[in-house]
Amino acid sequence: MALIELTNVTKRYRVGSQDIVALDGIDLVIEQGEYAAIIGPSGSGKSTLMHLLGCLDTPTSGMMRIDGIDVSRASANKLSEMRNQKIGFVFQSFNLLAKFTVLQNVELPMIYAGVTAQERRTRALAAVERVGLSNRVKNTPLQLSGGQMQRVAIARALVNDPRIVFADEPTGNLDSKTGATILELFRELSEQGRTIVLVTHDNKIAAQTPRRIEIQDGKIV
Amino acid sequence: MNLWLGLLLGLKEISSHKFRSFLTMLGIILGVASLLSMFSLTAGMAKGMREYMQQVGGIEKVGIITQDVPIEQEGYAEISPGRTVADAEAILKSADLVSYVTPVSELQSCAITRANQLFRSFVVGAWPDFVPINKHEVARGRNLSLMDVENAQHVCVIGDGISQRLWPELPHFNPIGQSIMLNGCPFTVVGEFTHYEREEDKRRREQAAKAPPVERDRTKRKPPGGAPGGGRGGGSGGGMFDRKNAMILIPISTMFYEFKSASVVGLVDQGPNYKLDQLSFQVADTAAFQQTMNQVQAIVGATHRGIEDFTFDTKQEWFDTIEESVQSTRLSGGMIAGISLLVGGIGITNIMLASISERIREIGVRRAVGAKGRDIFMQIVVESAVIGFIGGVLGLAASFGIMKILVMISDKNAPVVELPAVLISFSFALIIGVVSGFYPAIKASRLDPIEALRYG
Ligand SMILES: Nc1ncnc2c1ncn2[C@@H]1O[C@H](COP(=O)(O)OP(=O)(O)OP(=O)(O)O)[C@@H](O)[C@H]1O
Ligand SMILES: [Mg+2]
Repeated sequence: MALIELTNVTKRYRVGSQDIVALDGIDLVIEQGEYAAIIGPSGSGKSTLMHLLGCLDTPTSGMMRIDGIDVSRASANKLSEMRNQKIGFVFQSFNLLAKFTVLQNVELPMIYAGVTAQERRTRALAAVERVGLSNRVKNTPLQLSGGQMQRVAIARALVNDPRIVFADEPTGNLDSKTGATILELFRELSEQGRTIVLVTHDNKIAAQTPRRIEIQDGKIV
Repeated sequence: MNLWLGLLLGLKEISSHKFRSFLTMLGIILGVASLLSMFSLTAGMAKGMREYMQQVGGIEKVGIITQDVPIEQEGYAEISPGRTVADAEAILKSADLVSYVTPVSELQSCAITRANQLFRSFVVGAWPDFVPINKHEVARGRNLSLMDVENAQHVCVIGDGISQRLWPELPHFNPIGQSIMLNGCPFTVVGEFTHYEREEDKRRREQAAKAPPVERDRTKRKPPGGAPGGGRGGGSGGGMFDRKNAMILIPISTMFYEFKSASVVGLVDQGPNYKLDQLSFQVADTAAFQQTMNQVQAIVGATHRGIEDFTFDTKQEWFDTIEESVQSTRLSGGMIAGISLLVGGIGITNIMLASISERIREIGVRRAVGAKGRDIFMQIVVESAVIGFIGGVLGLAASFGIMKILVMISDKNAPVVELPAVLISFSFALIIGVVSGFYPAIKASRLDPIEALRYG
């Protein structure tokens, strides 16, 4: 069975009396271990789709199954569990907590997973090492460069050992050289067998990934 | 997320906005401080009053007082001899529930003289039981004896205030064996009572004595009948033991013999007046209070030949009044403190609302990495509870400060800090902290993750 399976998924927003169709009947299957890029013009619905895949939001209609679980009909608590256990999410704007250190940021998902303090520390340190920031654990995000912040965010996404990592324009706020090192990191993760889906509107990036999903006006083309 | 982490997070959040948090806590601090101070001050007041009550005989002292006879007995009321020593003797003989009994005959204004000292004061004639009933204590010499009463001896036991006025130049003079004149009649001093004072004053006096270099002559042994307590209000001031310290006790037989055998009204001698001024007894067991009263009622009823010209005067109402006044002070004080706490609580709610709208994005991030609504709820409530907790602790500290100052600037009864009052005041702070966090916490926990992440 496929790891991710979307059947006729739609997402509509109601703004005043206007109905905005952000996603319009998406059918999509992503297998275990795939490395895919979603590409499309601005406003085409990429982020909306990512939020659904990342269990941050629910579809208006359609069926969506992740790792055998019907998330289109799951409770809010179940979705929290999915985000915590099965999914790592990397944002374009990093979304780190400015008041906490690198290590504390990376520990955050484990707090909600009920991991003991001791184990949180060891696992966070390992994750930070994995992204090459072992020497910056005591810094706060504001003391880091954009690329370093995104590495912290990736470490945080990996720390609960999720089956899938979603990244919404992870290089969008970075210069191309830094972006390349981040993409290199994703490639390595993919080679280690992790399922990765990232969003980009950069064709050069999409060209590097084995699979390319193109989206336009809320539809896959 | 567990409670411990929540506490750490709350502390971190509070310490990163120290001044703001302090302002938020101010309402709680004031509320707790006033609540505990009020509890402690009223407890001190009540303690002072109870102490005084105890000193004048306590609840176990009952007086038999005269009353108007009922209408149906008016015609033959004169068959009752009224309150006499015979009543006391009957009680002494037959009332086994009574531990002490004494008749009392007083001389309101008697000339007291020794050498060149002269003043007027009251003299009490009674039985030796007068001493335990009225919680007197003989410090030097002895109490009156039954022999003294039997033989109408010219002996007296005097209060410490009297000694001071008779021997003003000798502060700790031992008056035992000395002779004094009461209305020109010589009496030998056989005993001296202790110096009565509030525990509070005693403590201060001892403290002052311990710190000698400080020139604070607090030898607070006031002369009786002198300036009453320097204008300190209420029965709880320092002067309340003045009358007790001014006691001159003589055998009742001597009183009758020397001072009551003639009662001159309008230049005409009315003959001896052996009516009593007081007749009081002590209940042996206050648990059997009513039975004791019934027993005495029957005995005195018999000596009065069935005429109901007497009734009982108990201190029960006094005690009730103390409790009532403490309760009502607590109620009104509690209300004021409660309002302060309520305002403090609203302040916390307000700040927590401001704080979560500053942290919407943080909440979004937490939700995104797997926090459930209830985790966010917990975090906010715990943070709010921590504010209440710290406010409570500071409030308790402030209250001790306030009470110290009050004790320093006034001579009133020292506040009594009782553990339940501390716990109640503190729990209020904690509860207010928790409850104030509910609304902001619910709001925060209902934030949509995506909306929250997109915010700002
Ligand atoms: N909360 C919302 N309310 C109303 N409309 C929304 C909302 N979120 C997204 N949309 C609309 O849905 C459509 C898809 O938006 P989405 O953010 O998915 O685009 P995108 O492909 O990620 O674009 P970009 O490349 O600029 O990030 C847009 O028309 C957008 O205006
Ligand atoms: Mg987008």
